[in-house]
Amino acid sequence: MALTITCPICGKRNGYEFKFGGEEKGPRPDEKDLTPEAWCDYVHMNKCVAGVQQEWWFHKDGCGSWFPIYRDTTTNLEKPEPGGQK
Amino acid sequence: MFLKKKPMWGKKTKLKSSYDVVIIGGGLHSLATAYFLAKEHGITDIAIIEKNYIGFGGAGRNTAIVRANQRTQYNVPLYKEALDLWPVLTKDLDYNLMFNNCGNLNLMHSEAAMKAARMTIATAQFHGVESHLIDAKEAKELVPALNISEDITFPIHGAMFHPPGGVVRHDAVVWGLARGAAKKGVEIHQQTEALGIGTQNGKVTSVTTSRGVINTKQVLISAGGYSAALIYDMLGIKLPISVLTIQAMVTQPLKPVLDHVVSSGAYHCYANQTLKGEIATGAHMDPWPNYTTLNTAHYIKHQAEALSEFLPCLRGVRFMRIWGGLADMTPDMAPIMEGNNHVEGFFMDCGWGYFGFKSCSAVGKYMAEYMATDVCPDMLKPFALKRYQEHKLMGETAELVSYSPDN
Repeated sequence: MALTITCPICGKRNGYEFKFGGEEKGPRPDEKDLTPEAWCDYVHMNKCVAGVQQEWWFHKDGCGSWFPIYRDTTTNLEKPEPGGQK
Repeated sequence: MFLKKKPMWGKKTKLKSSYDVVIIGGGLHSLATAYFLAKEHGITDIAIIEKNYIGFGGAGRNTAIVRANQRTQYNVPLYKEALDLWPVLTKDLDYNLMFNNCGNLNLMHSEAAMKAARMTIATAQFHGVESHLIDAKEAKELVPALNISEDITFPIHGAMFHPPGGVVRHDAVVWGLARGAAKKGVEIHQQTEALGIGTQNGKVTSVTTSRGVINTKQVLISAGGYSAALIYDMLGIKLPISVLTIQAMVTQPLKPVLDHVVSSGAYHCYANQTLKGEIATGAHMDPWPNYTTLNTAHYIKHQAEALSEFLPCLRGVRFMRIWGGLADMTPDMAPIMEGNNHVEGFFMDCGWGYFGFKSCSAVGKYMAEYMATDVCPDMLKPFALKRYQEHKLMGETAELVSYSPDN
């Protein structure tokens, strides 16, 4: 289940250098008129995709940057952005 | 296993076009729910839909440990009932589930851990579950193989001893429940994938499968680690779940050396000796969601190091088989069970993390009651999804288990 992650600064590195930062959920909701439902949705709720998903990673044992990647959760392989050029 | 000969639980049946209840997933929670629906509530027109074969997922991959020494007042009564049900089910199913209540020994490696154990023990004792604190010397008397010397990474200060826990043969539970349910008329359809749930005016009307559409008014998704993805795919309901692979392994068979389940939070490792003599051990999850069910070299090494420190007699023993399964983790380490909330007739039973096996007997009983009466039994009320919105997380762990940026 080897995992490698491509950091935008350090390049392709061993996955254990990184910390998973959650599914990409769009921007943090505005605090004005924020409902418990919307906040709970942002904080806790996941789609748990079995396939390619966009997600955040933190290079904790490296440069410290946060960045999103696409990964196939059924194989642990990084993937290019669906329909994109990355 | 898909041969033409008849399956062990009874006759092969044709998939009908309609059932009273359809259950998605052929694991223990599904089988137990179907069994109790038929036995206690007289609902027998049930189809269990399984993509692979019964017991393919967590039901056949867990390390078979059962116990009722959880931390919170909501969880303990449920697991206690599950524990009490093993001998009852063995008799009712007329199937030897090989319940070996050898007792669980939870090692503590600091004074802070001993203090936390005292609280957990108080909760257990309040609910009438036998559990007590012992010191390192007493632990050594119970399990002579333990290393209680000071010169290991995490010296043993004491342990939480829970005598009524132990090990149940997980495959036997799958087979016993499948046979028990089928005898009462429940149909089990393997190699049948659920593809969607049809709804109309906020009510469940059908389930689409790889073998055609089934009309039904009640659907339960209890597909273990696959539940969250299925529920989002079919009904667009997001859940506070992260699905991780949890790893396990067994050593070559040894003469009897370990007659308790021994676990350690600090070493992140548990071990028990199966009746075949193998040391079954595991616990690690690589902390990023994935459906691979693969092991990692990283963990096999960690496991060997941990075991050879606190059970030094295992040094040099070889791992014989390794495997992984899925754990659908929630932030408060407690499950999600509810019904008729998003869609009338839709029930879910998921988020068990690595507690799905030890809870299956009691959950089957209560989910069956829930589905038969449409009234949530008191036992299941604390496990509703809305607790996350209301900030009433359960505190099963002292700290939130989170694979999100806040952790």
